[in-house]
Amino acid sequence: MTVVGTNVRRADGADKVRGTAIYGMDYTEPGHLTAKVLRSTVPAARIVELDTSKAESMPGVRAIATAADAPGLSGMFFVLKDQSLFARDVIRYVGEPLAAIAADTAEQADAALAAIDVVLDPLEPVLDVELSLAEGTRLIHPEWESYETAVPGPRDGNLAWEARIDRGDADAAFADAHLIVEDEFRTQRQHQTSIEPHAAVARYEHGRYVVHTPTQFPFNVRGRVAELLGARTSDVRVIVPTIGGGFGGKLDMMLEPFACILARKTGKPVRIVNTRSEEQATCGPRENAIVRLRTAVAADGTILAQEGRIIADNGANSSGETIACSNVASLVLGGTYRIPNARYVSQVAYTNTPPTAAFRGVNAPYCVYAQEMHFDHIARELDIDRRELRMRNLIRAGDEMVNGQVLEDAFLEEAMTTVERMRPWARPKSEKGTLRGIAVVPLTWITNPGPSGASVKMEEDGTATITCAAAEIGTGAVATGIRQIVADQLGLRFDDVQVSTADTDTGGYDHGAQGSRTTFGMGNAAQDAALKVRDQILDVAAGMLEASTTDLELVDGSVRVLGAPDKQLPLPAVVATAMFSQGPIVASGAFAAPPIPFDSGCMAGALFTSFTAATYHAHLAEVEVDPDTGKVTVSRYVVAQDVGRAINPQMIEGQIQGGVVQGVGYTLFENLRIGENGDVLDTGLETYRLPTANDAPPIDIAVLENPCPYGPLGAKGAAEPSIVPVAAVIACAVADAIDAPLKELPLTPFAVLRALNDKRAG
Amino acid sequence: MSYSFTVNEQSVEIESAGLTSLLSVLRDELGLLGAKLGCGEGRCGACTVLVDGAPAAACLYPVANADGSDVLTVEGLPQGSEQLTPVQDALLAHGGVQCGACIPGVVMTLTALLEQHAHPKDSDVRSALTGNICRCTGYQKIVDAALAAAETNGDPR
Repeated sequence: MTVVGTNVRRADGADKVRGTAIYGMDYTEPGHLTAKVLRSTVPAARIVELDTSKAESMPGVRAIATAADAPGLSGMFFVLKDQSLFARDVIRYVGEPLAAIAADTAEQADAALAAIDVVLDPLEPVLDVELSLAEGTRLIHPEWESYETAVPGPRDGNLAWEARIDRGDADAAFADAHLIVEDEFRTQRQHQTSIEPHAAVARYEHGRYVVHTPTQFPFNVRGRVAELLGARTSDVRVIVPTIGGGFGGKLDMMLEPFACILARKTGKPVRIVNTRSEEQATCGPRENAIVRLRTAVAADGTILAQEGRIIADNGANSSGETIACSNVASLVLGGTYRIPNARYVSQVAYTNTPPTAAFRGVNAPYCVYAQEMHFDHIARELDIDRRELRMRNLIRAGDEMVNGQVLEDAFLEEAMTTVERMRPWARPKSEKGTLRGIAVVPLTWITNPGPSGASVKMEEDGTATITCAAAEIGTGAVATGIRQIVADQLGLRFDDVQVSTADTDTGGYDHGAQGSRTTFGMGNAAQDAALKVRDQILDVAAGMLEASTTDLELVDGSVRVLGAPDKQLPLPAVVATAMFSQGPIVASGAFAAPPIPFDSGCMAGALFTSFTAATYHAHLAEVEVDPDTGKVTVSRYVVAQDVGRAINPQMIEGQIQGGVVQGVGYTLFENLRIGENGDVLDTGLETYRLPTANDAPPIDIAVLENPCPYGPLGAKGAAEPSIVPVAAVIACAVADAIDAPLKELPLTPFAVLRALNDKRAG
Repeated sequence: MSYSFTVNEQSVEIESAGLTSLLSVLRDELGLLGAKLGCGEGRCGACTVLVDGAPAAACLYPVANADGSDVLTVEGLPQGSEQLTPVQDALLAHGGVQCGACIPGVVMTLTALLEQHAHPKDSDVRSALTGNICRCTGYQKIVDAALAAAETNGDPR
């Protein structure tokens, strides 16, 4: 009986419910110092003087780090290297680090921070993306041309990055169109707000930095820290304690470099933990954006061509992955519907605001919101049913995405049909005091294709251990998924497979817990290693049982001869025999995503060029709107999601429910506002409102299995996508309820009332 | 000032300023790391402990107010046994745990709820949980777990 497809309990679960799991925020080392960071309180200025001499002599102060200690320039995923750890000559955002102090106590560190003298010469801040890109605006990075990039990307002054897709003949299609529809949409910043803030503890040992940090992507943190410090990559070791939530916010280094520098300077372990306000104010949120769409349609609603321009806010530098994922915006616009002629420009602009970064569903939820609201506009103009317009244009198996990638396994129609079975499409009736609306949205999404390495060894007791650097971010991909895959391959019980702690010194490279990739990428690598271990076991056992390896099977911790149940060997006996014949049983496995054919001539500046292991989704929402208060209630929600193969159905459901509720927050109230001084206004949970148990709608879920030929046992990414279409489907349902479009998020009661009043007035 | 109270049935004497938060006493002085400092302003509930059986946000709770009280943290459950409590067990059985940073607080809130309310409805559970933010699960499986744990209420496991 395989454990794949069953709802095994997570291996880290008992420690978590008992409160004994040690999170990054709990981790300490004996004799550690406490570090604090001095951060800029202005958005733009020249640094005239930074004098730490008074602070150095303050009680308890052990070391102070400044720009001189971190000579490197870097950028997220090493794409555009425009970030120094500390502001050097120029300050570019409120919250930018100026210095860091290690002291015996937090109070001493704070007191010393206050004693650092900073003299500044203010610059005019550029806080708005449109202003940033306007002719004549002050350059935020005057030296932008000198920055190193991983690939050549179109860049120009305050335009940090641009990704383009140009395919077919959009101009001709627009010239012949029955109708042309245009819209513009604006969306806000959304903060990940994991319960655990960023935290790091570093020590300097044998000339190397050893840092414990709750990161989603240990190898990225290792490389980024090394680059900023000017150290050799392998001289940084990253070890991952239990992670208290990430959602993209813990992909990048954040506090680790400060702890590392100060540990080297003091010779003592250094611990640094963000306060909640530091976390909200300086750890990159989902970017605010403007999306403009212009679409040519035929009389029957067939999309003939689409032009799109996305302007996303990079903030002050590229320490988040907004530029790295800029082309994802265009791919998601052109991945769900047949758009034969397209011209998308995805621009990322510098502003004097805190850098933006990855949040689950990178660069996508606002694009899908814009596309779907725009589709409703088209439906209204043509008087076509909204669901019908989508069904007419839906990508079917064998159709091309906008990048020319053929989606052989497209499953959108099945997802839409499944939702239709669960909740037949019918306009809910409004009544006095309650306006009701409905919407349904299909979606194609990506599984992150990054590489993975893993090894699997057999222990003397017949159990197996996976050694890898995959981070358990909470999804259960490590705590259940990859264990289930390896247990299945080796005929073991779930409890007989262990996984090492994520540690860059021991685990092979892994591309991080992002884009639903752990069960997929690490699952593939672990499966590859497990199959080699299986071969070694069978080789040794074949000799012992005097049977051919092809006649053997691995079941219940034993090797059995097929058809002769009495001829079997327990695994410990095989492992012991192997030890002194071929040597200990251990094998390494690797995964690299297969190349996907696409039209390479149609894109520029694209780091993501295609959708690996594409998944297919449909979401339906029904909402109620109170016409007097503007309050929106999501009364019903339905999800059909293709996961390839469900390794652990319960964990998948949990990802869907969690993603939808994060999306509800994004749609209805989460808004990390930037003030007139370029500072984050919502630095606490008092004003940055998160969804509570009462905000979570009832969600009906259908998990669809449409296997991926290169996924482990057919699995595709399952964790990320559920957030992506939520804003779209809820906003379209609200627009349906109030019979007026909504062109900005979030849909607070005030915004909904305003839209209702505008409609009444006009 | 000196304050005496019990934590997980052990007597403690704490020398501290009265406004020191109970959470910092638990974490920094007593080494009980189960309750988490999520927000420090009583909004997220990751620091929830029981004071005389009632849930309290330990990050805002002055240690002076605990004087003479019985404080129960997640480490006090289940007392002296390897077994999980019905709430802890149900959270795992129903997949209610992801990153788990909120879970010590959730466990305490639900433990208090089931003490007060042997057979709560879905809406009772959600109301009780409004002070506990979970950023991962979307709450449904936590609610499912609470309702299932209530089913076992009063029954020996």
